[in-house]
Amino acid sequence: MNTTAASYLDNTGKDPTQRAPLVLGANDLHDVTDKVCGIIENPKPSTGWYVGMAVSLLLLAVLGYSVFYLFFVGVGVWGVNNPVGWGFAIVNFVFWVGIGHAGTLISAILYLFRQTWRTGINRSAEAMTIFAVICAGLFPGIHVGRVWVVYWMFPLPNQMEMWPQFRSPLLWDVFAVSTYFTVSLLFWYTGLVPDIASVRDRAKHRIRQIGYGILAIGWRGSNRHWHRYERAYLILAALSTPLVLSVHSVVSFDFAVAQLPGWHTTIFPPYFVAGAIFSGFAMVVTLLVPARKWLGLEELITLRHLENMNKIILVTGSMVGYAYAMEFFIAWYGGVHEETFAFISRATGPFWWAYWIMVSCNVIFPQLFWFKKLRTSLPAMMVVCLLVNVGMWFERFVITVTSLSSDFLPSSWGYYYPTLIDFTTLIGSFGLFFTLFLLFCRFLPIVAMAEVKMTMPQAHPSKH
Amino acid sequence: MTLSEAGTLTPPGDAPASADAPAYLHGVVAQFETVDDILAAAAKCRDHGFTDWDCHTPFPVHGLDKAMGVRNTVLPWLVFCGGLTGFLTGIGLQYFTNVMEYPFVISGKPMASWPIYVPVVFELTVLFSALTTFFGMWGMNGLPQLHHPLFFSERFKRASDDKFFVSVMADDPKFDAAQTTTFLESIGATHVDRLEE
Amino acid sequence: MNAHAASMERPVLKDKTRLGDVGPKIAHAALILGLIALGGSIAWGVTLEGGKPLWKSYLINFAFFTSLTLGGLFFVIIQHVTHAGWSVVVRRVAEAVACNAWLMALLGAGFVLGGGMGSLYEWWHLHPGHGNHLYDIKAPYLNHTFFYIRFVAYFAIWIVLSQYFFRTSVKQDESGDPNLTLAMERRSPLAVILFALSLTFFAVDMLMSLEYAWFSTMFGVYYFAGTAGAFFAVAILTLSFLQGRGLLTESVTKEHYHDLGKLVFAFVVFWCYIAYSQYMLIWYANIPEETFWYQNRLGDGWKGLSLFLLLGHFFGPFLFLMSRWQKRRHGTLLAAAIWMLFMHWIDMFWLVKPGADMPALQSSVFDLTLFIGMGGLWVWALFRRLQDVSLVPERDPRLGESLRFENY
Repeated sequence: MNTTAASYLDNTGKDPTQRAPLVLGANDLHDVTDKVCGIIENPKPSTGWYVGMAVSLLLLAVLGYSVFYLFFVGVGVWGVNNPVGWGFAIVNFVFWVGIGHAGTLISAILYLFRQTWRTGINRSAEAMTIFAVICAGLFPGIHVGRVWVVYWMFPLPNQMEMWPQFRSPLLWDVFAVSTYFTVSLLFWYTGLVPDIASVRDRAKHRIRQIGYGILAIGWRGSNRHWHRYERAYLILAALSTPLVLSVHSVVSFDFAVAQLPGWHTTIFPPYFVAGAIFSGFAMVVTLLVPARKWLGLEELITLRHLENMNKIILVTGSMVGYAYAMEFFIAWYGGVHEETFAFISRATGPFWWAYWIMVSCNVIFPQLFWFKKLRTSLPAMMVVCLLVNVGMWFERFVITVTSLSSDFLPSSWGYYYPTLIDFTTLIGSFGLFFTLFLLFCRFLPIVAMAEVKMTMPQAHPSKH
Repeated sequence: MTLSEAGTLTPPGDAPASADAPAYLHGVVAQFETVDDILAAAAKCRDHGFTDWDCHTPFPVHGLDKAMGVRNTVLPWLVFCGGLTGFLTGIGLQYFTNVMEYPFVISGKPMASWPIYVPVVFELTVLFSALTTFFGMWGMNGLPQLHHPLFFSERFKRASDDKFFVSVMADDPKFDAAQTTTFLESIGATHVDRLEE
Repeated sequence: MNAHAASMERPVLKDKTRLGDVGPKIAHAALILGLIALGGSIAWGVTLEGGKPLWKSYLINFAFFTSLTLGGLFFVIIQHVTHAGWSVVVRRVAEAVACNAWLMALLGAGFVLGGGMGSLYEWWHLHPGHGNHLYDIKAPYLNHTFFYIRFVAYFAIWIVLSQYFFRTSVKQDESGDPNLTLAMERRSPLAVILFALSLTFFAVDMLMSLEYAWFSTMFGVYYFAGTAGAFFAVAILTLSFLQGRGLLTESVTKEHYHDLGKLVFAFVVFWCYIAYSQYMLIWYANIPEETFWYQNRLGDGWKGLSLFLLLGHFFGPFLFLMSRWQKRRHGTLLAAAIWMLFMHWIDMFWLVKPGADMPALQSSVFDLTLFIGMGGLWVWALFRRLQDVSLVPERDPRLGESLRFENY
């Protein structure tokens, strides 16, 4: 057995005769509780946390200002105009919804596939899902112009006797995203309860005892409760799996039901889902690589967890590449002139730069993960995952903007120029995301302790 | 079963608690050290014939349901009903609003065209199912219940950390403080705590 | 680490893992039946109405059995990519199913060289520069030479991949060398890519180009969704059959069936998701270049079949397989597997049969006789393949995990 400090953290070996351990070091059940609860019991968070929080709050203020300014002046402060009537707002919306998908994939789909390594990362990824969906929900909310009647999006009885139009995919979005948010929240909280009970039982301070006590709703680890709990968890996973597919599919319908060249493509639904998972995993890796270091969780969120995520990035990245290729092939094979033109124009037209950023970041750079050395190297995976985040934002930009800017009628073609407020709103939304994430790291157990314990040898009967 | 209802501290039965009455015994809780121990103990408790008893573990222990004789939950059926309600709500909502109440021709599509119903019907099915799962599960578990006699035991705090417990409540017809304690010790308990205020 | 591995007990298989004399009986019966049905159909049908009814039925069954074969290949590759443990006892059957690629290559060659292309594909008779603008655009892809090249490439890929995985796995039965597992795992990602591309373009060439004007980016995924789902049904059927003959009675348990059932269920849903998305997007955008394909499938009688496909390929099995209990009971699972295979066949029928030349639903006797013909040969080849090898990868390093596997 390896004992040296450098190598014991590397559990990426491939020996097929045994499964690699998921909790490293000489940790027993109690150590797991100690490590995870210790983070939130620490009376003073690290300087890094304060610095991160300061930057995030600053960005959040930028967002607040941008939104306030938008409300005050109107959507004219954005760069949207004819012919590009959909700009950063929808791009950011799709980007953030996509980021959320990794959390559900980890918590639900990998659960159904019995991928026990998910336990180290599912909690933080689910949290990320919820925060990302909050960021996403912001954009449809603020882009409507008259924000004070934003509730018209919902089918509520009103004195005008009007109802929303269910033939519009935008309304499906309202249902899909709000369902997604609700179910993710329920799932997340269900997973949190036993862990919050652990925090409650260790709390020394009265306020913490009461606060965590209420959140833990009196959980006492009863096996009769666990029985229903596990069944409920399985059902929620089984519900979330098609749900996560449906959310980004519905988002893709926003584009694909139209007749606009470049938007009307039948592969859009699975292609959007693959892209969403791809970008979501990139974001999880981007967040967890520094977080596990700062919070001392390297023995729980191991290199193997990261390597597995990088493999999923490679797989989904290749699916995205497949979809790009199929789009091009069918655009030509279909023989529809406008469609062929739309795709050639993406690659060589006025927005060629955005297209090539997208292709290189989404298809080319992830190929580096074919090499084990690179997918297990922290700096390399940070770089690639950041590039993927950039690339996936540009993918939505390319889809939205290029098709709108040059459609069937050359006389109405036009370029799209985002404004400063467009950029500040985008950057500010990261402030909202990171603020929520840092608060989560500070106040809630960032690793699903109960689930991690289940994967440890101590959790299994010695005789099978 | 007064105890499990809303966690009241009033003792069940005839005599109301008075200030100077001796501490009321709600039951006992025994600590076990390993998964093997709790599995063996659970099977013995089941065979002993306790009815108002439970195991408490920091994570679900596989095989414990069988050892305890826990029967399968009816939750999936509730969820199915919830999902069906959502399904019908989705169809009803769209048909009612867009065909009956506010018909409007959009891109030449028929008023009632099933392909457009699917996404919203699907989302509502999932939403209703998930809500049923969540509230059904907690409701059947009798949670939230912020207080429970088990929390009188200081040692029981390890139940959410790394120890395993068996609790036997005083309501159990086979319960007898001394005998039950001895029994639990005989099946491998390392500590047995009395649950008293 | 290695010391630990060596100390691990080698799991002992307590049941019969060799076909023995069960194999030849089945194989011979299937072969004779298959040859008679196939030969008879061709002899009778090749001159009937220019061979068109024959070749349509031939293509339906060719697409069906090829997809079962590809489903096996997909299963094998995915198990290696994911380093799966639960499925080891199921994998040998999948490896053998995949090896039927050579048979499908022969049957495919029969179709292409025997006149099937000319009889069913309009583009086969077209030449660029004759005023057909649409074909002129597609001519670089849809022409005889390039088609032959692609056709050979698909089957070359499938034969090489299936033989590699089968032979390496069988070699491991003797040596027990874990490095063979590593080697297969190392090559499997590349296999996935080759598989995805070959399956996609196979579907485009054989099925989508039947109506060469039509196009859908999703089409390859659609064919894949049916393919993967159908294989799990095949696995359930094959394993049940073997267990009925007293083989593998201990190694393959209810738990493995349960998992296969879950996968059938998952692909029922996935198929519906893909089918719905493709249909809804084309219906909604309502562009004549695309809608005619569905129009052909909503004509006289076809509408009923389309509806049957929706109900029988999705709603029915979805409700039937939802409960855990149904998937864990042998009889119900077996019924579901047979039903799903039937529906997959209907799906292939639905893809191939309709067209401008067939406005009303029509079936032909060849649909059935060729099913028996190709099915017989397919079963024969499968049992021939399994004859001299163990029915489970006996010394796979993860065999123990698979034997112990339990669903919680």
